[in-house]
Amino acid sequence: MSIRKAWKEYKVAYVYIAPFFILFAIFGLFPIAFGFYLSFFRWDGLSQMHFIGLENYLNVFKDPLFWKALKNTLVIGIIAHIPILLGGLTLAFILNSKLVKGQNIFKTIYFMPMVTSSVAISIVFQQMFGNNYGVINWFVTLFGGEKVNWLGGDGALIKVAVIVMFAWKWIGWNMVIYLAGMQGINNDVYEAARIDGANNIQVLFKICIPLIKPIIIFTVIQSTIGMFNLFTEPFILTGQNWQGGINNGGLTLMTYLLSKAPQGGNLYGYASSVAYIITALIVIISIVVNKGTLDKSDPDYIADQAVKKQRREMARAARVSRKGGAR
Amino acid sequence: MKLILALLLIVLGCILIGKFVSKGKMIILYVVLLLVAAIMLLPFYDMFVMSTRTTQEIFSFPPFLTFGKNLIENFTNMNLSVNFMLAFRNSLIITCSYVVLVLLFCSMGGYAFAVYNFPGRGVLFAILLGTMMIPATAGIIPWYIMMSKFHWVDTFRALIIPNCANAFGIYWMRQYCKNNVPVSLVEAARIDGCSEWTIFFRIVAPILKPAYASLGIMNFVNIWNDFMQPMMILKSPSLQTLPLMLRTMVSDRGTDYGAMMLASTCAVLPLLVAFLCASKYFMDGLTAGAVKE
Amino acid sequence: MKKMKQMVSLAMVSAMAAGMIGCGSSGDTVSNGASGSSDDTVTITVGGWPSGDDAFKAAEEGFHELYPNIEIEYVFTDTTSHHQNLQTSLAAGSGAPDVAMVEGAYVAQYRNSAALADLNQFGASDYASDFVSFKWDQCISDDGSAMRLIPWDVGPATAFYRTDVFEEAGLPTDPEEVEELMSTWDGVLQAAEAVGAIDDNHWFMADGSYLYQLLFQNRDYYDEDLNLQLERDGDLDCLNTIIKMREEGLDMQVDMWSTEAYAAYADGSIAYVPNGCWFGGFLKTDIDPNGAGHWAVCNLPANIGAKNWGGSFLVIPEQSQNKEAAWKFVSYMLATAQGQNDMFEAVDYFPAYTPAYEDALYDEGDDYFGGEQTKKLWAEIATELEPVYTTQMDTTAEGQIFTSVNQGLQEGMTVEEIRSLLADNIEAATAEIKQQQIQTLKDAGVWDGE
Repeated sequence: MSIRKAWKEYKVAYVYIAPFFILFAIFGLFPIAFGFYLSFFRWDGLSQMHFIGLENYLNVFKDPLFWKALKNTLVIGIIAHIPILLGGLTLAFILNSKLVKGQNIFKTIYFMPMVTSSVAISIVFQQMFGNNYGVINWFVTLFGGEKVNWLGGDGALIKVAVIVMFAWKWIGWNMVIYLAGMQGINNDVYEAARIDGANNIQVLFKICIPLIKPIIIFTVIQSTIGMFNLFTEPFILTGQNWQGGINNGGLTLMTYLLSKAPQGGNLYGYASSVAYIITALIVIISIVVNKGTLDKSDPDYIADQAVKKQRREMARAARVSRKGGAR
Repeated sequence: MKLILALLLIVLGCILIGKFVSKGKMIILYVVLLLVAAIMLLPFYDMFVMSTRTTQEIFSFPPFLTFGKNLIENFTNMNLSVNFMLAFRNSLIITCSYVVLVLLFCSMGGYAFAVYNFPGRGVLFAILLGTMMIPATAGIIPWYIMMSKFHWVDTFRALIIPNCANAFGIYWMRQYCKNNVPVSLVEAARIDGCSEWTIFFRIVAPILKPAYASLGIMNFVNIWNDFMQPMMILKSPSLQTLPLMLRTMVSDRGTDYGAMMLASTCAVLPLLVAFLCASKYFMDGLTAGAVKE
Repeated sequence: MKKMKQMVSLAMVSAMAAGMIGCGSSGDTVSNGASGSSDDTVTITVGGWPSGDDAFKAAEEGFHELYPNIEIEYVFTDTTSHHQNLQTSLAAGSGAPDVAMVEGAYVAQYRNSAALADLNQFGASDYASDFVSFKWDQCISDDGSAMRLIPWDVGPATAFYRTDVFEEAGLPTDPEEVEELMSTWDGVLQAAEAVGAIDDNHWFMADGSYLYQLLFQNRDYYDEDLNLQLERDGDLDCLNTIIKMREEGLDMQVDMWSTEAYAAYADGSIAYVPNGCWFGGFLKTDIDPNGAGHWAVCNLPANIGAKNWGGSFLVIPEQSQNKEAAWKFVSYMLATAQGQNDMFEAVDYFPAYTPAYEDALYDEGDDYFGGEQTKKLWAEIATELEPVYTTQMDTTAEGQIFTSVNQGLQEGMTVEEIRSLLADNIEAATAEIKQQQIQTLKDAGVWDGE
């Protein structure tokens, strides 16, 4: 199909998507491209730029702090996904069963952590996890325990605090989406399972989870991106420490990036290369997740393939008829 | 040790109740649900409590878990140190104009990607998804240089217009349209002689209401809380937004925690109220957007 | 016809959107409007962090008497945001204020940056002998050709301690006796044990690692070949004392800048706070306003000599359109006794401009500190400070002390192990900044390393 013909036929569609692409071309492309360009330079924003080739990238990989940050991010992300996934699924399953009422109220409450300012709530958590005056240590002493230095100590427990915050924030979101998926499952499926003598746990694992798998993957990708962007929570919990607190326990990738520039320093070239490494990581993970879960029975996928095939055939037909005409 | 024992006892008790008490299962489910609800609400509650306490009270042991008497004084102190209403107004103007624009652009884009089968759709959509993966921080300096070349520094439009290129929003709207806008309806309207434009505003937009609510609130929260961009762009004190204002309350000389918590509460409350009001639509939007039938 | 309709409605929507944005940004013209107003009045913008604005406002009257045609507009935010903002504005070439405050941590990079005006063009070098040389020398670019910052204040470091708690612990309260008692690191431990013995809710310090940080308080971490120099006289004794303090539970294990620690200073849970002199102002106005009489000031422990803690500078960005007026402001505020002392009285920023000390103010006793002549003590320390070699790595290195020492304490390391852990952590955290520092020195033509 010629460009002119496509434009004529689908003008409206192009006009509808134009705002995004125009705005992105103006405001998005230049910063991204310039950032990439910067990643090959040493520049502090104050003096001249010096081209250093791949040195920034090599230095990032040589930096033990980068690997610590990567490890911390993965540890926090992976452990936090256990309560997020299991908790979200369980809560959704409970709410979906006909035993309880007030579904909407619970849904709304569970979702509230998403609708808040992470700075404000991080300060609250910092206070709650406080060593000497915190609510959590008060509970601990109430049960006869010793005060735990969550945010200090040898730095290992900061991760617990960050994981709690991360899970607290994401559980509700996942639960709401899982619940939606479960409500989409036809009731007959449950009935049939019950007749076969399956108990609740079997229903959850053998029926619900396989059926809403695409939705689970969607939420996992979402919270994975959230994991790579994790910064405000650990930063405030460690008392705004750019090294992630004691023993770099709370140093995440995003904290590492921002500690170089623009917030914690002015190593703009270096920070740009870190940003591109993080981008590469996200792209790789997305591809792996997508490849691993590509569903060829998905109607979207089938429809897309069909249209492509049709277009190819039409183009071939057009070529053939043109050739024929010339002869 | 005692803690673990207590937990074990509780779990054991629950199992016993579940087995032997009639309706026991239901009770336990409610207990679980309420417990989780309490955990979700505790930080909010703690924030409200702290905003009625003095700094001294906030940092004492055992911690206070009930409301105090210092609300009025915290309010006075807050108004002495910052201009809350001005910051509130600025935040509201920026956020509302942004949300209106972004909803318009995203629903148009998402609808186009979902309904029209135009050439280049696959490639363009892939590009759109690709843009979501690059952390915005990578380009923040070039972005600022650009804003200053446009003479947009110290204006609200620098915070509104560039952000309108929202790939996630388009992706979201596309999902929603795919699941909820019947192509047959669009085709029928076309046969009736409706223009494409009318179809979108008269027929499609009303169907998208729940999606508008959910995407609207998500974007509202993001921009309302954004700190980085306003900090770089807004230089004049008269243009401060709420997050910037909250930051000025933190001082090396000692932070008035009570007043700061009150200010945080006041900054978060509008979000919560907006969310609670639109909660039904919001949930519908989330539900219908996420699920493929 | 259909097309027309589409176009019109699209135009309408975009007009609507533009209208909303238009009304959104209408506020911004107000603040910028002032600069365009009548005759030869110039408005300069001054940026910084609180309490700098309070200081300038206190000295503004005297300034306006001399320069009635210069108006001042303040753009103030928290310390971190201010510096980041300044940094991006300098990198982008626009948006910076005409005069900006700069924290000591940034001096080593800013003094070499062409983005800042060379103050020698206004004759700044004439003032060289009037300023504390510890601060002045830091402002001169590495090639010695330019001077892009000018010192505002200096932070003579002293120890602040609670006389009431010391008395309860059976310790002396007179500054000289306290200095005598704590003239060795063992003496410090004795004092700490006495305070800790009162009961479970009394601690000697917020965190022991800050004692160790005192040794490096002048930020002389590196020599001129950029080798890390962590070994000092008595540093291992100091670490030993810290280890014992931690074992006996004598420090509260909270950051000394946390609100938790501030609350403990106010209610006497923490008895001893080594800090810059400006901390006295914090105590008086914010942390413990009702504390008059139960705080006192003495020299740092273990005879470690004169140390500086903090202090800021002013700069004039090269992009400023009002550099002349900005310099008038800067030179009045920082290089006149009246400007400096007005500000000192308002916010306790101790002048780096030594002629200011001739004022009778500096002989006065301070009622808050039981009538002690604290200002005299601070002025003495300020003049005793030895100039040091500062680098861009210094602040990051300083940031490693708290976390590294605490990690070492937690893992039960020996003093040597803690010191080498700190060295490793500093090397890792500063690796890239060091590259930048070398580049800066190369650009200045003064690097002869590899």
